[in-house]
Amino acid sequence: MSQLEIRSVSHWFGGLQALKDVTFDTHDEILGLIGPNGAGKTTLFNVISGFIVPTSGEVRFNGKAIHRLRADQTVRLGLARTFQIVKPFASLTVEENVLVGLGMPYYPTSAALYQRYRTRSNLDQVEQILAKVHLTDYRSAQAAKLPIGLLRRLEIARALATHPKLLLLDEPAAGLVAQEAEELAALVRDLYAQGLHIILIEHNMRFAMNLCHRIVVLAQGEIIAQGNPTEIQNNEKVINAYLGQE
Amino acid sequence: MLLLQNLSNALILACTYILMAAGLTMVYGVLKVLHIAHASVYTVGAFVGVLAFTRLGNFWVALAIAMFVSGIFGVLIYRSTYFYLLNSPRTVPLIASVGMFVMFTDLLQKPFLMGAYQRAFPAGGAGLPAVKTALFSFTAKQVLILLVTVILLAIVYVILTRTKLGLSWQAASMDRDMASAVGVNLNQSIAANFFLGSALAGAAGVLVGVYNNSVFATMGDLPSYKAFIIIVLGGMGSLPGAILASLILAIVENFLVASIGYVLPRDSIAFLVLILMLMFRPNGLLGRE
Amino acid sequence: MASGYFLTILTFTAMYISLALSLNILTGYAGQVSLGHAAFLGIGAYTSAVLTLRYEVPFWLAFLAAIVLTGLIGTILGLPSLRVRHDFLVLATMGINFVVVSVFKYVDFFGGAMGLVNIPAPSLFGITFRGGVPYLLLTTAYALFTLWICWYLSKTWSGLAFQTIRNDEEAAASLGVNPARYKIYAFGISAALAGGVGSLYAHFLGSVFPDNFVFVESIGMLSMVIFGGIGTLRGPIVGAILLRLIPELLRFIQDYRFTFYGALLVLMMLFQPMGLLGNDSWLWQHLTRWFRSSARSAKEDVR
Repeated sequence: MSQLEIRSVSHWFGGLQALKDVTFDTHDEILGLIGPNGAGKTTLFNVISGFIVPTSGEVRFNGKAIHRLRADQTVRLGLARTFQIVKPFASLTVEENVLVGLGMPYYPTSAALYQRYRTRSNLDQVEQILAKVHLTDYRSAQAAKLPIGLLRRLEIARALATHPKLLLLDEPAAGLVAQEAEELAALVRDLYAQGLHIILIEHNMRFAMNLCHRIVVLAQGEIIAQGNPTEIQNNEKVINAYLGQE
Repeated sequence: MLLLQNLSNALILACTYILMAAGLTMVYGVLKVLHIAHASVYTVGAFVGVLAFTRLGNFWVALAIAMFVSGIFGVLIYRSTYFYLLNSPRTVPLIASVGMFVMFTDLLQKPFLMGAYQRAFPAGGAGLPAVKTALFSFTAKQVLILLVTVILLAIVYVILTRTKLGLSWQAASMDRDMASAVGVNLNQSIAANFFLGSALAGAAGVLVGVYNNSVFATMGDLPSYKAFIIIVLGGMGSLPGAILASLILAIVENFLVASIGYVLPRDSIAFLVLILMLMFRPNGLLGRE
Repeated sequence: MASGYFLTILTFTAMYISLALSLNILTGYAGQVSLGHAAFLGIGAYTSAVLTLRYEVPFWLAFLAAIVLTGLIGTILGLPSLRVRHDFLVLATMGINFVVVSVFKYVDFFGGAMGLVNIPAPSLFGITFRGGVPYLLLTTAYALFTLWICWYLSKTWSGLAFQTIRNDEEAAASLGVNPARYKIYAFGISAALAGGVGSLYAHFLGSVFPDNFVFVESIGMLSMVIFGGIGTLRGPIVGAILLRLIPELLRFIQDYRFTFYGALLVLMMLFQPMGLLGNDSWLWQHLTRWFRSSARSAKEDVR
């Protein structure tokens, strides 16, 4: 059974069509979403995660329609994301950044008023998550002072803290040096092995080809191809639209 | 008859709003800063105008001097503060602007500047004739306001559309970094923008001072609040929008508010409109989401 | 007599500490700059004055009512913050201040421009708190209460949520924070605490006038928060104390109080936007460094 179903999703920004009738499913896999700049990849992520309500079409997650939900609602269904341009809470420490994802009460009810977030069990969980992404040494560092490579991992840690079933990674390897990218790929494989499903946007073709089980190619808002990495690499449309550009 | 007369009164009110809001919206367009200290520029304009007029006796010379001094004052405001805060978070120049506004308003009230009393500005209609037709009439003062506003707007229009300077403002309003990358001298361009916008505010101060025959230190407060309402209504940074919004606000104030104004003074109704606009049409009447 | 004057200054300082701390919840923690905080002080003051004067409600009840009602009104007046951000929100809060003051001024029920006078002094167990040391204790107790609320709030999920909203609303939403609700919440708490000060203010002065709550008063409060160090606990306290006391100590500044506040805001924005004692401020970094090194040398001395 497919987990995320995207059905004829279209979106316009003013007179510009960013997504044209996009339809695909995800299964138990690491799915790569690739395409040239302006192909609509991030727009699609924004639709899935609830930052944009699509002009038309439907998104279902485990059978539930989610395209009208806000971001803070989709994340509670088990759908977490990172951002292409990292958005750390700069004034907070690494630990506090992760705590946010851990258990923010949905309504600012009385519980949010009197419950402290820094409890023993919460801190233990944060420690486990930070260990997973190798950030343990930086737990009390202020996020503003971290380099980009660590911020990318912090974003993943924060997302993991929300206990996701599906993780959306928006260009997680951008700005990383080769070795960092390799470590990141290992982390993503690891997370998949632990039962998480993953969609990642990637600009770096080789990175995506090595990591993903299946790839969906977007160009100018449309899906022009999907299949396993070998099929995609030999697909003429993809070569023309995407590879030809570089 | 009465309707037309009311409309022509609204038109005069709108003229003063336009001059005030035009400067504000120009500054917002280029800097994306809410220039709250613009109110002080308006008051300084009126003050300089009345001083020059009492010494020289010629309204037009006084107007020119007032506009020039206001323009310089505006440039000084820019060079002393905003200039250093262009890349700070948006609240930083905003709070600086609030600080300047409070500081100037307080200083202007001191005895060595304007004092706490009202001065007369007896320029009358500056020698212009009154206009009287069967349908409506303008007093000489109203003709003066209309004439000066139309001339100044024409000048602004030409600068905006026909000169390199106007083009550089448009470029800067879209993307400052990009504009400087394609060779716009950003500093000169923004300073000129401040000069023109502030000169317009100064002119508005002079005209309102003459019209009410009164100039005082806090005269800028209300017009500046209203100018904010206008630039929000008109869509931030849009000059045609500001002109349209000025007309709408003036007409609404003259007609509607007169009939429901007993609940609250019309100025607070204008503010309620502002709050509702911000909530439901944050991009202005003409703007779209 | 001189000591009476001194007590009055201290009493006001205590009230302004509470005001600055309450504004700091909204502006410092949640990042929503407000130029309308004096409106909440006014709503609290008028609520308490009207209840005790017109309905003969005892002070303590009126005080609680002022907190609750101002909190509720603050929640409603916070609604624009859902749609409006940054400088537009500042405009909206300015407008709110303006509208609230004109309601006081033009609605006869609130006494109009003549204000409300002869507001009774509070009493408890037969003690009447009319000025002097008892009232200073009362306002100081409230300042401590506000401080405790702010401190506790910063340890709770709400406090964390406020900080995430200030840092990045989208990231906060992606992690399950509902920015709209928490913003409204910040408005409500901030207003409620200011409303309590309003009640104390009205019963201390014995009279309230619309002009006590105008826009420049809001600027004064914002100056305290920004001068001291926005988003910290120490900042608003130090800011309120310094900005209340400096004009009292230096008489020539008294006449130029708003020039002083305004110039201070401009200078802080130019040179220390985090405030005197903000986390990244020059003074605070030097102070903490100095504390740390002297603590270290103390330890070494022991060895």
